[in-house]
Amino acid sequence: MKTVTVFVGLCLVFVFVWERVDVVRVGYHIERLKRDKTVLERQRDELRVKVSALSASDRIAKLATEKLGMSPPQQGQIIVVQSRPSDVHPSSDVAPVELKVAKNYLPSGRF
Amino acid sequence: MAGSFSRGRRYVLLLLLLCGFGSVLFRLVTLQVLQAAELSVRADRQHQKTVSLEGARGTIVDRHGKILAMNVEVPSVFGVPNTLESPLKTARQLSPILHVRTDELERKLRQDRSFVWLARKLDPEQGRRLDLLSLDGIGVVMEGRRFYPKGPLLAHVLGFSGMDGEGLEGLEHRYESYLRGEKRMMVLQRDALGRTVFPKGMTERSPTPGHSLTLTIDEVIQYIAERELEDAVGRAQAKSGTMIVLDPKTGAVLAMAVSPRFDPNAVSTLSPDRWRNRALTDAYEPGSTMKAMMAAAAIEERVVRPNTMVFGEHGHMTVANTVIHDHERLGWVSFAQVIQKSSNIGAAKIGMALGEQRLHRYLQAFGFGQRTEIDLPGEGAGLVRNQKYWGRRSVASISMGQEIGVTPLQMVAAIAAIANGGVLMKPYVVSEIRDAEGHMLRQVPPQAKRRVISPETARSVTKILEGVVTDGTGTKAAIPGFRVAGKTGTAQKIDPRTGTYSASRFVASFAGYVPADNPQLAMIVVIDEPQGDVWGGAVAAPVFSRVGEQVLSYLGVPSSQPVTLAMASRRS
Repeated sequence: MKTVTVFVGLCLVFVFVWERVDVVRVGYHIERLKRDKTVLERQRDELRVKVSALSASDRIAKLATEKLGMSPPQQGQIIVVQSRPSDVHPSSDVAPVELKVAKNYLPSGRF
Repeated sequence: MAGSFSRGRRYVLLLLLLCGFGSVLFRLVTLQVLQAAELSVRADRQHQKTVSLEGARGTIVDRHGKILAMNVEVPSVFGVPNTLESPLKTARQLSPILHVRTDELERKLRQDRSFVWLARKLDPEQGRRLDLLSLDGIGVVMEGRRFYPKGPLLAHVLGFSGMDGEGLEGLEHRYESYLRGEKRMMVLQRDALGRTVFPKGMTERSPTPGHSLTLTIDEVIQYIAERELEDAVGRAQAKSGTMIVLDPKTGAVLAMAVSPRFDPNAVSTLSPDRWRNRALTDAYEPGSTMKAMMAAAAIEERVVRPNTMVFGEHGHMTVANTVIHDHERLGWVSFAQVIQKSSNIGAAKIGMALGEQRLHRYLQAFGFGQRTEIDLPGEGAGLVRNQKYWGRRSVASISMGQEIGVTPLQMVAAIAAIANGGVLMKPYVVSEIRDAEGHMLRQVPPQAKRRVISPETARSVTKILEGVVTDGTGTKAAIPGFRVAGKTGTAQKIDPRTGTYSASRFVASFAGYVPADNPQLAMIVVIDEPQGDVWGGAVAAPVFSRVGEQVLSYLGVPSSQPVTLAMASRRS
């Protein structure tokens, strides 16, 4: 009986110590994960800023004109037309469809 | 003999043991009772670390969610001078990374202090290089740095924040209480190696980041406006320029461009004059653009109709001992032609027929002489003198846009009121405020301030203003396929030396809206001190046309007038 009591007592002490050690170990692990999270969030923010800078309109326009030889459309070269719904769907109540037509891409002789 | 010696030794041993235990007991009482409070505090100080944490400053995005301002954590470098063995050697190693001169770094590191900043808010890459060096006596802490990834785009509206993250100008300043992250002190437990073991604040939440702002601004429209304005200011060799694009039905600001621009990422070397948002701080005499409001008031009060005939006095008329000139010698013309040809004499006559009281009432109704209450700091109220101080010439002068100071924002809000059928809307730039999780905290609805004129009057004025673009002074504002309404303005500036109107310094402007039959855009272009051709119709109207055409195309607004490809080909 005495031996069993001592054994149980030792087990309880062991469980208590093991639990305290594990709490500290998990604490370190959580701290490491938090550090990793912070680093990843920082990298994400850096990348978001980079994406935003790279997609700036003036940069795109500069690349388009200087690298790709494109030029902004001149006055009258872009015509936005609105088709009447009855032309497309005579009996339906579909909303008007807006078409964006760039003059340079119209097939020749069709208009 | 042996027994007494043995007893003596036992007493000595006992005495020694008693002394030993006594000293231990004394020490225990001293530590655990007498010095308990002080030592407990010292232990806490060694095991616990209190850190001040600040939530990241909120993000600012345009109406499509494109990032315009954002915080990123970047490294700041400090030194602990009194722990350094060789400040010169350390300075030499740091200099190429920090881009600071060696002698300057050495001077800082030789100070008799335990902490000194060496460089703050560096690029992340510089931080990585510093980590690799791992120098004794040099530390790195992370701080939030504000980035404006689009560079100078919208800089005058966004403003900028200071080194400690506080908003100093523009939206950054106006919405400081929303953008600023929460500040919080947290206590962390440290082990013998200084590592954080188990934060006491584990169950506490981290400091809340600031709220984010969604603007009414459209990045693409803003870019188009800034590019065309910069071009125009450069071509005209002007001092500065301003352009505002407004949704006339809501008062939402789609673009607000100021030239010259500045980069909010590097403001330390610029003067405040450079970052002033002239669109709402600077009042100018509007000149003939004011005739649009005067016409609206006169038609609303039934003083005239568009076809009422007015005698142009062949270009000269004397009012209160001063001569008013017209650039054209007009005879009998309709009131519509008075506006289309921008006759000063015709406008003065109609203004005088309208009368002092009614003119003053309409100026106030259109919002002149008072702030528009836009959600941006530093707005000016313009200048409308108290009616009792008006002189004998004032009614005539104000009718043609002199003796009155307006801001470009006031003028575009007034022209938008004519565009939308007569209601003055409150301009605004922030449409939504959301918390860090994206939950909506505040949605800003359009706000109507008052009805100024009736829809019938607005339609009559629109027809007259369309004539300005088809047959009058503003033909260069025309946009193929769209009906454009607007008014040119060319105002002489006051010469500060003589106090009289300058013969060489002008403000050229054009205010209008498009499509005239269903306005989607109300715009104003103001060019300050253009050289050469100074007329609003020559300098500002083409900017209106170029921006209007591109923005209408971008928004997918269909043409309101038949456009033939033959016409398009001719223009290409």
